[in-house]
Amino acid sequence: MLNFISSEIFKLRHKLRSWLGPLLIMILVLIAFPLSIDISQYDLNKFFFSVIVVALLMISFLATESIFSEDYEDGSLEQLHLVEKDFYKVVLAKIITYVFLIGFPMALIGSVFSIANGISLQDAPKIFIILATSTLILFNVFAFGSALSINKGSMLGVLASLPLALPVIVLLGRAVRTVQYGSGFFEVLALMVGIGLIVTAIMPMIISATLKTHLE
Amino acid sequence: MQLITASNLGYSINDKRLFHNLTFSLDSGCALHIKGGNGSGKSTLIRILLGLTAASKGNIEFGKPNLSISYLGHKNAIKTYLTLMQNLELIFKPAIFPLAVDWMHSLGLTQVQDEMTANLSFGQQKKLALIRVLANPADLIMLDEPFVGLDHSSRNLLSNFLQEQLALGISLILTSHIDPELNCSELILSEDTNA
Repeated sequence: MLNFISSEIFKLRHKLRSWLGPLLIMILVLIAFPLSIDISQYDLNKFFFSVIVVALLMISFLATESIFSEDYEDGSLEQLHLVEKDFYKVVLAKIITYVFLIGFPMALIGSVFSIANGISLQDAPKIFIILATSTLILFNVFAFGSALSINKGSMLGVLASLPLALPVIVLLGRAVRTVQYGSGFFEVLALMVGIGLIVTAIMPMIISATLKTHLE
Repeated sequence: MQLITASNLGYSINDKRLFHNLTFSLDSGCALHIKGGNGSGKSTLIRILLGLTAASKGNIEFGKPNLSISYLGHKNAIKTYLTLMQNLELIFKPAIFPLAVDWMHSLGLTQVQDEMTANLSFGQQKKLALIRVLANPADLIMLDEPFVGLDHSSRNLLSNFLQEQLALGISLILTSHIDPELNCSELILSEDTNA
């Protein structure tokens, strides 16, 4: 498992576009939004979280679009199949790497920008945790979408899996409100972490079966 | 020892029968050259033996549990955004890496070791992909058109390597339109293959 993770880190580290691109887009969206509309600081505090949440959704969507397609197209998946008959560990390693190298920095950027928009320094770590947990769930869901249509252009499958991400967005919105209003945060966080762990345990199994079907 | 025994293998796709009732076996240290025209199912047969594609009928038995296989198919399984050396780092464990570097030198790739793989020629990319087979110890080597894109000296190098492996008791299955110059059994696929 550690070998797979270190291989994925090695590959992603050299694919500047794949990890830096989503982070730059995230920063760009969060800077551009307040500049592009003419509303008071008071109103911006209310709206800004919606922008962070939508940016997180869309950029998770973009970041995972080619998560498996490269290995499928260049034949690396075939080679992996000779070593590991089941892709579970490979898929899990890929998702963990993407979450750590792209998802968590996205969550950090989101929480930093939330400080600039009215969230106190004490509450910023809470925002980071809920955004990080959300990326864990979203990356799993979109990775499934990407695997689903890997030989037809992954975007189609990622789009098809978009409805699965909507409950995560509803939950994330609820979690943000608990931070803003100061009650019930840990209950919602526990729910999100629980969902995140279940999804991370189950989704690689489904994705593994999907990839094997496509290899045939 | 019989390494692979295939019985009554058949494969059809979109109602088109590629081959049927294919029965053969391969002993340790022996080579099997799968021949046939384009679209006759050579690559599919190799994928079936690898377990990548399911046969429509028949079964395959392996004489050794946990058989280690080195395989190179039509896809090179190399990363075009990495340099040649970085690809070797990615593919090989530290213990085998020096051997892979030796093969890189033998194949005349030293001068391009720091080039992006995307900038290498087709033949150079093929050589890089072949190092995966050359440096990896295995019980069975499966190659799908391994000589395509290789210059004369690299072809000889590969043929000699394969000959040495056969002498060491390692088995080989390959498809090639180019004569591999090896002592091989031949399996010829055609529409009415009934071997």
